[in-house]
Amino acid sequence: MAKKPLQQITTTLASMSSAIYILVIIGAISALGTLIPQGQAPDFYMQHYGGLTGRIITVLSLHRLYQAWWFLAMLLLLCLSILLCAVKRLRRTRSVLIFSSLIMHLAIILVLGGAAWSLGYGHSANIELAEGQSVSLAEFGFAPGQLTLDRFQIDYYPDYQPRQYSSLLSLQGYQGQDYHQEIAVNHPLKAGYLKIYQSSWGWMMQITTQAADGQSKSIALPDRSEYWLDQSRHLKLQAIFVPDLDETRPGINSLSPLPRNPHVLIALVEHDRVIGMNLLRAGESAQLGEYKFSLDGFSYYSGLNVKEDRGVYLVFTGFFLLLAGMLVRYLAENMVRKAA
Amino acid sequence: MGIYEDLAFSTAFVAYTAAILLSVWGFAAKHEHVTRFADYITACGWAANTLALILRTISAERLPLSNGFEFLVAFAWGIVLFYMWMRYRHRLQAVGLFLLPIVWGILAYAAVEMPASQKAITPLMPALKSNWLSVHVATAILSYGALAVSFALAVMHLVKERYAQNKSTTSRLYKNLPGMDVLDESCYRFITIGFFLLSMVIISGAIWAEQAWGSYWSWDPKETWSLITWLIYGACLHVRQTYGWRGRRSSVIAVIGFAAVLFTFFGVNYWLVGLHSYA
Repeated sequence: MAKKPLQQITTTLASMSSAIYILVIIGAISALGTLIPQGQAPDFYMQHYGGLTGRIITVLSLHRLYQAWWFLAMLLLLCLSILLCAVKRLRRTRSVLIFSSLIMHLAIILVLGGAAWSLGYGHSANIELAEGQSVSLAEFGFAPGQLTLDRFQIDYYPDYQPRQYSSLLSLQGYQGQDYHQEIAVNHPLKAGYLKIYQSSWGWMMQITTQAADGQSKSIALPDRSEYWLDQSRHLKLQAIFVPDLDETRPGINSLSPLPRNPHVLIALVEHDRVIGMNLLRAGESAQLGEYKFSLDGFSYYSGLNVKEDRGVYLVFTGFFLLLAGMLVRYLAENMVRKAA
Repeated sequence: MGIYEDLAFSTAFVAYTAAILLSVWGFAAKHEHVTRFADYITACGWAANTLALILRTISAERLPLSNGFEFLVAFAWGIVLFYMWMRYRHRLQAVGLFLLPIVWGILAYAAVEMPASQKAITPLMPALKSNWLSVHVATAILSYGALAVSFALAVMHLVKERYAQNKSTTSRLYKNLPGMDVLDESCYRFITIGFFLLSMVIISGAIWAEQAWGSYWSWDPKETWSLITWLIYGACLHVRQTYGWRGRRSSVIAVIGFAAVLFTFFGVNYWLVGLHSYA
C-alpha cells in the first residue's frame, strides 16, 4: 500500500541522512553569511557587488541571512528531524548510550526552542540617561517602574585606557520591589526576568539657545551630535566636549579623557559650512550669528540596554543538558570499551 | 615581553625544533631510544612553554589568555599537552612527525609574523573582565589541542592508506606508521574529547556574551565559524556511529574539521575582518 504524503515526509525527516543534509546546508549557508557583510542598507550591496549580485543579495535577504524566514524555517526543519530521529531510535533500543544521546538531542531542541522564544517574545530597548535623569520603563514597553541614573563612573588604567564603566541605578516600584544597585560591563542588574546592561556612555551638554527674536530654548545635547535651529535655513548647532583642554598648545586638544579642564566647542553650521564657533566653559555664553548660546552645564550619560527575555533560561538549560548528556555518553562509552 | 619570558619562549621553540629533528631521525633509522629521547626533549620544551605562560601571568597579573599572541602560545601548549598524553597512553609511533611541525609553525608565526603591538601586555578592556574569559579560552586551548592531535592521526591514516593503495607496502614510511585501525580508533577518541570541549567553548562564550552584552548569540563571523566547526565534527561522529564511516572518509572529515578550527582563529581574524573593513 502506498504511504500517505505526510507519512512519507515524516519517514524522510526521521532518517538521519536528512538530518545531516539539513545540517550541512545550514553550515554552508551560515558560512556564506560570514562572507557577505550583514545588516547594511540595500544601497551598500548595489554599490559593492554591482546591480545584479546586489539585487540577488537583497531579494533573497542574504544581507539579513540569519533572520531570513527561510533560514529560520531550515532550523525548524532541523529541529523536527532531530526529534523524529531521537524518537525512532528510542523505540528500537534502550541503553545508557541511547538515553544520553536522547538527552543531547532534546537539549539541542531546547536551545533552538529557547532561541525562538527570545526572537518572538524577547524585548529590549536602549535607554540613554544623564546623571540624575529618570525614566518610566512602561514607556519602553516593560512593566511599570521608575529607572533613575544616580551616578555614572569610568575607571581608567594609568594610560587612560578604560578599566570599567559603571552606573549606579535605582529601579523603583518594579513589580512591587525597589532595587538600588551599581551595574558595570559584565555585571547587569537583575530584577525578576528584567536585566539592565551597561552598554555605552558619553557626555551630555545643557545648552540654552536664544534667537534674535528673544525666544529661548533649553536643550540637552549629546557629545558630537547636532541640533536643528532652523530647518528652513539649514541652520544647526554642533557641540563637541573637550574634557581636558590643552591651553599650552594652539588648536583644540584634550590631554586626557578626564574632565580636568572641561570646555565645549560649539559651532553654528549653515548648509554644512561652519559660520561661527567658540569654546565655552560652564556658565559662559557666546554670540554666534544671530543666536546667543549659553553652556549651563554638562554631565555623563549612560547608555543602558534593558532586556526582558525568558528564552535565555531555556537556552541555558539546554546548554547544561547538552554537556551533561555528552559527559554521560563519554563515560558510558569508556566503560563499554574497558569491558570489551 | 620580559627577558625571562622571552628566554622561556625561545627555549621552548628550540626544544620543539630539536624534538622534530630527533623524531625524524628516530623514525627513519627506527631507533627506539632516539624516539624516546625526542619525547624527553618535547617534555622539556613543554615545561619551558609552561614557564613562559607563568611568567606572563605574573607580569600581566592575570591569566595569559586575552590576546592573539597569548592564545597562540597557549594553543601550542595545549597541543603538546595532548600529544604527550597520547604518547603516554596510546603509545602511537610517529605522531610527533606530523604534529610537532604544527606546534613549530604556530610558535614561529607568533614570534615572527605577529606585530610587537599584539605581543605587548595590554590591560583588559571592560568586556573582557569576566571569569568566563578564563573558562572560554582555557577550554578553547584544550579543545583545539585535542583536535590538532586528531588531525595528525587522520593525516597519518590518509598517508598510510595512500601507500597501501599504491601497493608500496614495503616502503619504510608505510611499515613504521601505526596500523590503520589503531589510527582510526585513536582519532575518533580525540575527536570525542575535542568535541565535548568545543561545546564548552561555544557555551561558555554564549553565557559570557549574554552577561556582557545581553545577547547570547549574534552570528558574528567568529561565532558562526565556531558553530560550523562544531557541526562538522558533530556530523563526523554521527556518520561514524550510524553509517559506520571509518578510515578514509572519517579521516577526511577530521582534516576538514581541523581546517575549520584554524580558519575560525586565523581566517576570521585576518581575512574576514579584512573583508569587512572596506565597508
